Amino acid sequence: MTPHHLSILARAPAPDVKAFVNDILPFIGPVDMLKSQTGIVMLPAKDSAKEVKFHLGEILMAEATVCLRISKVEGYGACLGRDLQHATAIAILDAALRAEVSIEPIQTFIEEQRQQLAQFDAKLARDVESTRVSMETF
Amino acid sequence: MYVAARGGEEAIQNAETLYHQLNTEYDLNTVRLIERNMPYLVDRVMGEGSLYAPDLAALALAQTGGDIYEAVLMLRAYRSTQPRLAYALPISWDEMNTIRRISAAFKDIPGGQILGPTLDYSHRILDLAVIDNKSPAPKIDAPDPIQPTTSQAEFAPVTTLARVSEWQRAAGLLPKVNADDKQAARDIPDVTREPLLFPTSRAARLQSLSRAETGGVLALGYANMRGYGAVHPTINELRLGYVDVMMTHPMTGEPFSLGRIRVSYAEVVTTFKGSAQKPQLALGFCATLGWNEVKTIAGAMLDMAMDLPEPHPSHTEEYVLYHTDPVESSGFCIHYKLPHYVTFGSSLDAMRGVEVSNSAAASYYGDVSELKAGLPGTYAESELAVSDLSAIDDVVPDIALSAHP
Repeated sequence: MTPHHLSILARAPAPDVKAFVNDILPFIGPVDMLKSQTGIVMLPAKDSAKEVKFHLGEILMAEATVCLRISKVEGYGACLGRDLQHATAIAILDAALRAEVSIEPIQTFIEEQRQQLAQFDAKLARDVESTRVSMETF
Repeated sequence: MYVAARGGEEAIQNAETLYHQLNTEYDLNTVRLIERNMPYLVDRVMGEGSLYAPDLAALALAQTGGDIYEAVLMLRAYRSTQPRLAYALPISWDEMNTIRRISAAFKDIPGGQILGPTLDYSHRILDLAVIDNKSPAPKIDAPDPIQPTTSQAEFAPVTTLARVSEWQRAAGLLPKVNADDKQAARDIPDVTREPLLFPTSRAARLQSLSRAETGGVLALGYANMRGYGAVHPTINELRLGYVDVMMTHPMTGEPFSLGRIRVSYAEVVTTFKGSAQKPQLALGFCATLGWNEVKTIAGAMLDMAMDLPEPHPSHTEEYVLYHTDPVESSGFCIHYKLPHYVTFGSSLDAMRGVEVSNSAAASYYGDVSELKAGLPGTYAESELAVSDLSAIDDVVPDIALSAHP
């Protein structure tokens, strides 16, 4: 299953996402910032012994909500850490996709990022796999 | 009672300047180096700080000269300034991107055993060539300077595996449990919002262990393992990996990942559960933010121990959870550095009062060491320990009440 575009953009290198948005912003038009903030998100988990849910800890995040001034379509972006510019750039791309503005270059960019992340994932998976052992002969 | 600090601003400023002179300055490069080169230290600070923010944990370490307690305190202090924006969707351990997974209980666990990135099976020999400047070029590629730091992205494999305990439960080796899958995240007990009360909920226990101080958890767990407690378990599964922090899009409701974070968990198992007719395994569990094998193993042991009767303090929830919080315990320890002049002076006054009383009594009764009780201010030490404390307070309030502020 293809990851959600927000997942790809949140995981992609922030400088690349920001640079792309700076390049494409003139084609998207004016954007209003509705919300931009850092905060924390609580992460629940479940234990193995009794299947009880508990809070593992909190995650620092940045999020932004923007509105395209012409179409009035809103977009949302979020990422780990406190990089509000990264979150805002994601929100602008989300709004543009929802408003169907500059769809082709945005989708191309997201696909490129997805492929790069997939390559990293595949390489690391191979490296991890190379450490698999048989405890019978360990 | 403390004496309020007045004045001394110049000395305080000079002390801070001297601190930075002796410990070198830090900059963005220092922070990035710590984050990239000391991930386990960063993970420990994040786990104990209970806030996943690698760059801030690295900054805290840089600022404090590597003092873990201070770094954890700074991270928790920063966390307290941030609003809680949301609850993520619960982690699915089965979908965890596994980097390392071992079991000491079973050779052939479903999915197999993966050593992952570890030095467990390598020689622990100092690489002196590095400090002698004779080290060969590193065998691994140098990190790409334009690549994101761990706070911005994690690149993880796609290895997903079911927990060993699920396989055991399906095989009838573990008791079946009725999970409350409908419980909303905001309804889960939260020790950051409610004080710990005992006996506490399992959710509060596991959250407390997750943010507990590694050394404290290890010390209590080790005491238990060595024989002071009753638990000597086997590691059912130890796993390190990445999980996606899943949120829902506020406009569409679609799930998406905020990014990937490092997490670890341990299951430990013993064989004394169940009944004579159907003996079963018992499981202990501990998980934490970041990769921390020692803490999760010792924590899972303590989780199991805290369900047992109490021949040892590590079997007591209150003892374990209260004494392993890094900020509470280190804070109480270092608070003794603060001025205690009034309380200590009060103790001295009481001590001198006893001397005066003794000499007065001696002049009246002779040798007062033979007196057992009954004379104000001259209780024998052994009697203080077994006497009614409220009665003692009436007689010698300074001694009884001024030990702690």
